[in-house]
Amino acid sequence: MFYRENGQFKTSYRADQQIFGITQDRVAVLLLVAAAFLVVPVITSEYMFRAILIPFVIMSLAALGVNILVGYCGQISLGSGAFMAVGAYAAFNFFVRVQGMPLLLALLLGGVCAAAFGILFGLPSLRVKGLYLAVATLAAQFFSDWMFLRIKWFTNDAPSGSVQVSDLQVFGIPIASPISKYLFCLTILVVMALGAKNLVRSAIGREWMAIRDMDVAAAVIGIRPMYAKLTAFAVSSFIIGVAGAMWGFVHLSAWEPAAFSVDISFKLLFMVIIGGMGSIMGSFFGAAFIVVLPIFLNQFLPFVGSLVGVEISTSGISHAELIIFGALIVWFLIVEPHGLAKLWSTGKQKLRLWPFPH
Amino acid sequence: MATKQIGDVILDVKNISLSFGGVKALTDISFDVREHEVRSIIGPNGAGKSSMLNCVNGVYRPQEGAITFRGKKFSHMDSHQVATMGIGRTFQNLALFKGMSVIDNIMTGRNLRIKSNLFLQALRIGPAQREEEQHREFVEHIIDFLEIQAHRKTPVGQLPYGLQKRVDLGRALAMEPQLLLLDEPMAGMNVEEKQDMSRFVLDVNEEFGTTIVLIEHDMGVVMDISDRVVVLDYGKKIGDGTPEEVRNNEEVISAYLGTGH
Amino acid sequence: MGFFLETLLGGLMAGMLYSLVALGFVLIYKASGVFNFAQGAMVLFAALAMARFAEWLPAYAGIDNFVLANLIAFVAAGAVMFVVAWLIERLALRHLVNQEGTTLLMATLGISYFLDGIGQTIFGSDIYKIDIGMPKDPIFAFENIFEGGVLLNKEDLYAALIAAVLVGLLTLFFQKTVTGRALRAVADDHQAAQSIGIPLNRIWFIVWCVAGVVALVAGMIWGSKLGVQFSLTTVAMRALPVVILGGLTSVPGAIVGGLIIGVGEKLSEVYLGPYVGGGIEIWFAYVLALVFLLFRPQGLFGEKIIDRV
Repeated sequence: MFYRENGQFKTSYRADQQIFGITQDRVAVLLLVAAAFLVVPVITSEYMFRAILIPFVIMSLAALGVNILVGYCGQISLGSGAFMAVGAYAAFNFFVRVQGMPLLLALLLGGVCAAAFGILFGLPSLRVKGLYLAVATLAAQFFSDWMFLRIKWFTNDAPSGSVQVSDLQVFGIPIASPISKYLFCLTILVVMALGAKNLVRSAIGREWMAIRDMDVAAAVIGIRPMYAKLTAFAVSSFIIGVAGAMWGFVHLSAWEPAAFSVDISFKLLFMVIIGGMGSIMGSFFGAAFIVVLPIFLNQFLPFVGSLVGVEISTSGISHAELIIFGALIVWFLIVEPHGLAKLWSTGKQKLRLWPFPH
Repeated sequence: MATKQIGDVILDVKNISLSFGGVKALTDISFDVREHEVRSIIGPNGAGKSSMLNCVNGVYRPQEGAITFRGKKFSHMDSHQVATMGIGRTFQNLALFKGMSVIDNIMTGRNLRIKSNLFLQALRIGPAQREEEQHREFVEHIIDFLEIQAHRKTPVGQLPYGLQKRVDLGRALAMEPQLLLLDEPMAGMNVEEKQDMSRFVLDVNEEFGTTIVLIEHDMGVVMDISDRVVVLDYGKKIGDGTPEEVRNNEEVISAYLGTGH
Repeated sequence: MGFFLETLLGGLMAGMLYSLVALGFVLIYKASGVFNFAQGAMVLFAALAMARFAEWLPAYAGIDNFVLANLIAFVAAGAVMFVVAWLIERLALRHLVNQEGTTLLMATLGISYFLDGIGQTIFGSDIYKIDIGMPKDPIFAFENIFEGGVLLNKEDLYAALIAAVLVGLLTLFFQKTVTGRALRAVADDHQAAQSIGIPLNRIWFIVWCVAGVVALVAGMIWGSKLGVQFSLTTVAMRALPVVILGGLTSVPGAIVGGLIIGVGEKLSEVYLGPYVGGGIEIWFAYVLALVFLLFRPQGLFGEKIIDRV
C-alpha cells in the first residue's frame, strides 16, 4: 500500500538505470545516509563507536571488496586477510617514510599496493578454480603472514612486525576522537561503495558476472577471461587494502601481522555468504551481523545462563560464536544461498503487495 | 522483400580433423559458407555437428586442418579472439548467465564495443553514462525484435525454455556478428515456437544480412529455410549441396533421413 | 651428513602425520566429490573425545587396566565420530547434493567452525593428554655409520607403523569387501552407481564414518605427540597442500605428498631458513602446492581434470 510504484514512470533509459529505481527506496537510502552522518554522531556513546560502529564501517568496506571477487566474479578467496595486511603495512611505510605524506594518500597508496599483490596472487585463477584457487589464496595469506613477520624492511625494522601510527589528520582536522574517526571512515565507505556499485552495474560488472556464471560462454561473446578475473582481483584487493589500512590506522592504531591472520579471511568470507553474495547491500548486512553477534552473545548468553542457573564463561561465549557461525553458514547455504540480502529483497517484494498476500 | 544476394565465400573450412584421446570426432571435413546465405549442418546424433561449430568458434582446437574467415586463417585462436572477428554463436544447452537479467545477458553481447575504462565506469559520468545508454538502446531494439519486452528484468533462470532460447539468440545478435553459428536453436520447441524462431532466423538473415550456419534436426525447417546443406555422419562429410540435392543423395538417405519428416 | 639424515627422517615422520590427515580428505573426495575442509576439525574433535573419554569412562566404570581404558575410550570416540558422520550427512550434505563445488566447500568450512565450537564446549578447551603407551624416549640409530648416531624418536617410529597398518587396512577394505567395491563405484561415477542400486546416501555416510575413524587415529597420534589442543586445527590446515601435491583422488598420493611436504618443510627450514629470517614452515607447504597448481593441478597421482562445454 505504501510501497507501490504507482505513477512512477521511467521515460528515459537513464532513469531506468538508476541505482534505486523506486522513489521510496531512494528517499529511504538518502535519509539513512543523512542519519548516519548527522544523527548518529550525536546520539552514540564512545563505546558504541569503538566497539560497533567503526569496526562495522571498516569491515563493510572490506566485505564489499571480498564480495566483488567472490560474489560477483565467482573467484573464491581465502586470502583476504593478506590483502588487508598489505594495504595496512604499505600505507604505514608511505606514511612514516615519506615526509608530509597526507593520510588519505597513504591509505590510497596502500590500496594500490594491495591491488598489485592481488593481481599477482590472482594469476592462479587463470588456470584453476574452486578448491585449487582456495589453496592458492591461502598461499597468499600464509606468505603475507610470514612476510610482515620476518622481512624487517616492511615494518621499518620493528620487532616481530608490530607497528603503530599516531597523529592522524585530514586537511588539518585531527582524526583522534571516536566521532572524527567514525565520520572519516564513513566518508571513505560511502564514496567507495558508490564507485563499487557503479562498477558492478556497468560493463565490467557484467563481465565479472558472466565469468562467474559460465566462463566458457563468456569467452565466446568476446569477454577476455584474463582481463575480467585480474580486474576483479585488482579492484577487490584495492578496496580490501584500503579497508585494511583503515583498520590498522584508525581502529587499531597499533598492530602486528596476527591482526590480519587467516581468521579475518574466514570472517570476511562468512560476511559475504551470510550477507549475500553478489550484492553490495549484502556486504553491509553481513558485516553488521558478524560485528554485532559477538557483542550480542556477550550480553545475551550470560543473561540466559543466569535464567537457568548456568555460569557461562568468556571462553564459553567464544565457543558459542563458533557454533553459531558454523551452523548459520551451513543453514544459509542450504536455505538461502543469496543470504540476508535476498531475504531483504523478498521482504520488500511482499511489502509491495501488502496488504495483499500475492 | 528484396531477393537475397548470396556473395562470395567468407568461411572456408579445410580438412578439419578433431580427436579426443582415442575418439575421432571429425575426420577431414571440408566445406565453405558464402556470405548472406543460410547454411545448415545436419546429421544423426553424435555425428560431430556441435564439435564442428566448436572448432569454428575457437572452443576446440582441431588437430589438423585450417579455418579461414574473410581471408584470415585461424585454427588455433582463442574463442574470444574469434568473437572479435565477428563470429557469434548460440549454444545447444543454453549457456546463459543464469544470475543475470535478460537485459544484462544481452548487454554482455555489447561488451566488445564498450570503450570506457574502469575508472570512468566507476564514476559513471559523461562518456561512460552515454555509452551505457547507447548500448541500452541497441539492446532494446533486439528485445523488440525478439518480442521479449515483458521479461526484460527477469533473471533468465526463471524464464521458460523457449524464451531462454530467444535470449541466447539476442545475446549473439548484440555482437552484431557477420557470421552467426546457431546450435540447434529449435531443440525442445513445439510447432508454434519453431515457427517463431524460424521467422527470427530468417529476419536476421534477410534484414541484417547476417550469414547463418545452423545445426538443426527438424528436416522441415532445414529444407525450408536453408540455401545449402552439409551432412555429417560419424564425423565424416557425406553430403554437400542444396536441400534438393541432399534430399536425393542415397548415402544421406540411408544414413539419416529414413522415415523422418 | 648425519645431521642431514636426522633432519630428513624427522621430516618423514612429520610428513607421515600430515598424510594421516590428508587420507581423510582423499577418502571423502573420492567417494563424493566433496572437499572436506572440516577434516582438521574432525581430527581435533576426535582427539578431544578420545582424551576426555580416557579420563571419564574408566573413572565412571571403575576400570584400572591401562590397555582396557584406552580401548574403551577409542571405541567410544569412534562411536561419537560415527554419530558426527551421520549428523553431517543428514543435516548438511543431503540438502546440498546438487550444489556446485564452491558451495560445498564453504559448507564444510561452516561445519569445521561448528565442530570446533561444539567440541570445545562438550569436551573442554584446555590442553589434554593422550597416553596410549607410546614410548617417549629417543634411540640412536646407525651408530656404526655415523658418529654419535642418528637421533630417532621411538614414538615416531611406532606412529609410522600404525599409519602403515591403517593404510593397509584401508586398502584391504576398498579392494576386498563389498562395501569397499561399492565405494569405489560411487567414486568413479555417481549416476552409474545409483543406477545399479547403490544407495548414495548410505555410501556417503559410510565414507564419512571411515574418514572419522581415520581422523580419530590421526588425532590419537598427534595428540599423543603434541597434546590435544586447539592449535591442532592450524596444523591440520597444512594437510591441504598435501592433497594438492599427491592428487585429490589418490591414497598413495596422500602418503607420498605428506612425506614430501614433511621433508621439504624441515629441510628448507634448516638449510634455507637462516638466509631469509626463518619461519619458512609457515608458507612452504602452500607455496609448493601453488607451484603444483600452476603446472600440474592434478598432483602427482591424481586424475587429469577435463572441462567440457
